[in-house]
Amino acid sequence: MDTASFQFVAYGLAIAIISNLSRSRVWRSVVLMVASLVFLGLVAQNVFVLLPLAGFLLLGYFGLALLERGWSRPFVWILLIILVYVWLKQYTFLPARSFLHFSYLTLGLSYILFRVLHLLIDHGMGNEQRHVGLGAYLLYTLNFTTFVSGPIQRYDEFARDQYASEPVQLGARVVGAQLERIVRGFFKVNVLAMLFNMVRVDALGDLLQAGPPWMKFYAAFRLAVAYPLFLYANFSGYIDIVIALARLMRVRLPENFDRPFEASSVLDFWNRWHITLSRWLKTYVYNPLLLTLMRRVSSRGMQQLLGVLCYFVTFFLIGIWHGRTSEFVFFGVLTGAGMALNKLWQLGMTRALGRKQYRALANNFFYRGFGRGLNFVWFAFTLFWFWGRWPEIKRAFAALSLAHWVEAWLAAWLCAAAILTLWEWLRAVLLSIRSGGEPLLTSRYAGVVYASALGLAAFVVTVLLNQPAPGIVYRAF
Amino acid sequence: MTENRVSSAEGMKKEALPRRDWILLPMLALLTVVFLAGSTELVARKTFSESTTGIEKCMVVNDPSTGVRGIPNTVCWEKSPESPNIEFRFNGCGHRAGMECEPKPAGTYRIVMMGSSVAMGMRVRQNESFAALLPVELSKLTGRRVELYNESMGWGFPHSTALRFNQVLAAKPDMILWILTPMDVEKTTVVVAPVDVIGDDQSISLAVKAWRRAKEAVAAESLSTAMGTVFSRTRTALMLRHYLYASQSQYVKAFLAGSDDETGYLKGAWSDEWKNRLISFDADAAEMERQAHAAGIPFVAAYVPERAQVAMISIGEWPAGFDPYKLDDELRSTIVRYGGIYTDILPQFKTIAHPERLYFAVDGHPNPAGHAVISGLLAKSITSDALSALKAAQPELVSAEKGR
Repeated sequence: MDTASFQFVAYGLAIAIISNLSRSRVWRSVVLMVASLVFLGLVAQNVFVLLPLAGFLLLGYFGLALLERGWSRPFVWILLIILVYVWLKQYTFLPARSFLHFSYLTLGLSYILFRVLHLLIDHGMGNEQRHVGLGAYLLYTLNFTTFVSGPIQRYDEFARDQYASEPVQLGARVVGAQLERIVRGFFKVNVLAMLFNMVRVDALGDLLQAGPPWMKFYAAFRLAVAYPLFLYANFSGYIDIVIALARLMRVRLPENFDRPFEASSVLDFWNRWHITLSRWLKTYVYNPLLLTLMRRVSSRGMQQLLGVLCYFVTFFLIGIWHGRTSEFVFFGVLTGAGMALNKLWQLGMTRALGRKQYRALANNFFYRGFGRGLNFVWFAFTLFWFWGRWPEIKRAFAALSLAHWVEAWLAAWLCAAAILTLWEWLRAVLLSIRSGGEPLLTSRYAGVVYASALGLAAFVVTVLLNQPAPGIVYRAF
Repeated sequence: MTENRVSSAEGMKKEALPRRDWILLPMLALLTVVFLAGSTELVARKTFSESTTGIEKCMVVNDPSTGVRGIPNTVCWEKSPESPNIEFRFNGCGHRAGMECEPKPAGTYRIVMMGSSVAMGMRVRQNESFAALLPVELSKLTGRRVELYNESMGWGFPHSTALRFNQVLAAKPDMILWILTPMDVEKTTVVVAPVDVIGDDQSISLAVKAWRRAKEAVAAESLSTAMGTVFSRTRTALMLRHYLYASQSQYVKAFLAGSDDETGYLKGAWSDEWKNRLISFDADAAEMERQAHAAGIPFVAAYVPERAQVAMISIGEWPAGFDPYKLDDELRSTIVRYGGIYTDILPQFKTIAHPERLYFAVDGHPNPAGHAVISGLLAKSITSDALSALKAAQPELVSAEKGR
């Protein structure tokens, strides 16, 4: 029920229908609250396991209430919330004896953390003046469409649609488009992600089993390229489903993906991948940190380097947010280093070539193509510490010589560059075929054909394998 | 307020679909589904074709007094979706032995093999089966003339084999080789072929078959089970499974999601049903081993694993609660308890890269490459020091045969 399963989609659609029985905001809020509590109950199946989550939510609300009453030390409460989060998530650097020694629900906690911190910071800084009552707070934090894996919606965006006296329109075209999106998302999670996961697991198996060197080289190549594609299909498919379900309930959730593998640099990639997370961190970490540091440093050259440092810190935090073990710390270091190096490259090239010429270079067909490939393999490389544990990673790297690994990554780079460029070209060509002023491919007729085909494929594979697709990876964070 | 209502009404108008689309779009969806489903099924039927009649035409499949047996001097052809068209030629004694049922030639060490479909060489040509390859390998390894007379039979599970054990002894073997598979334990007491095989003849019209299948589907416990049942009978399902099950991990995952009947033998703790099956198997094994012992013939049993089992062993990891070696251990214990010899080839699959490729992906029987590997493993195991039935007999037999 907590994944992009058929049951989850059916539940969401049923709630959307009930929610639309009245346009009254009270009715829609009551339906959403009941649906979210029922969802939570179905996921937890035991009230006892919900107690730590309830405590965390109440702590957040208590802090919010204090800030609304003019308490002037928001950072104390923010720090407390972060510490409690780290403790409940059982980060491994904390002593194990300090943890709660019973099983409890942490599903959705990471996303609740962002929502609670956002409310506390905005109220503490005076950016948000609206009173947030307990009901509205719970509705915002427990909303079942964003509970499991986001997207991380801002409170003002949520309140704008949820409490609008004239709710967002929901005509036949919108309903059709959302149903198409649900089918697309279901296909991504249950077919594409399943296939890419299969490739990765088989590749890892091949790498660790007895076999000839060529088999291991090919396995290394597949292992390198399969996981980013799996993660994209898995996460963006789930996001497609929840955005569409929320839209059917007349709430517009923010987009979380914008064709990320079209990005030709690491900096651009993080503007397109898990957008709401990077946007949140830029708003609440990168910008304040940069401003604070820039106030202390007057040199312009140094200020540019401070930007590099802030990128590193922000994206290092993205890494450690994902998990509580040292693998994720290393993932954070690599992600931060990638951003920092990319920024340094930009600065260095601008200085060497001049702004105009560098821009021309960045738009060059081949430069963009190789950039896409490089960004893809860098992301794929960092993800080794995302999906793997140290012993597994060490065994995988030990299965091939360094030279063979370098060759495998080079092959992955070139292939990714060629395939992603070809994909972009094909997409542009197909979108250029127009009918009645709009691209033929995006017409509702093409959409219906496309969604019917994907729906049939997803249904067939789901029934055929009689097994759940891999769980939504980001539900674990 | 009025402006809002006006813009809202305009918006709704813009959002509305033209009337024709309310018919056109559902029709388009339906057409897409029908076209895709139909064309895929056609392609699947062309690519994975199967013969309308099969081996059962050459067999007596419903005689509980003898178990399933071959009709003497008959030839049938069967093409399963994943295999080529295979000839099944039964000799004068009703065996697919690749030779007539005559006394063994002088100077020949005769092995009589018994078992079910895997041992009979289902889905492979007779000359590609390990029944045909094993004597050649054994002859090479021992330097003597070894002959293998194959009395194995499709659906010839232990109780059925026990019913025909007099034929095994009548063939005057120097060694009896019993090939076991998980299905031999699962269906140990089965002596006639399943109803769908017995009833699947030309006299039943397509409409009757369709009606039967529809009734089965309706009788299913849930809608998803019913849909799964209907869909799994299509050739599209078979084609997709064929390609998806090429993945080692996917196949193991899908297989382990099956019922206890299919996967129970792979579990560390067996269900009562599997325990009872082993008790029944034990009784048949004991009786056959007793008769072999009385006749002074070495009784050797070998276990040929299933596809999922070798994949698990090859990966070296399996989910908690599973143990792919459990059945092998149980069979060894049973066979040895009654004085038989158990030749163990299962651990050898660990050293083979992708051993699951030695089997037809959906059907699960070993393919020609699988038969070749099984033959090699059996030959090595039978002639090893640990198992010396053939080797120990070698010096005196060779000299005796030379003296004849």
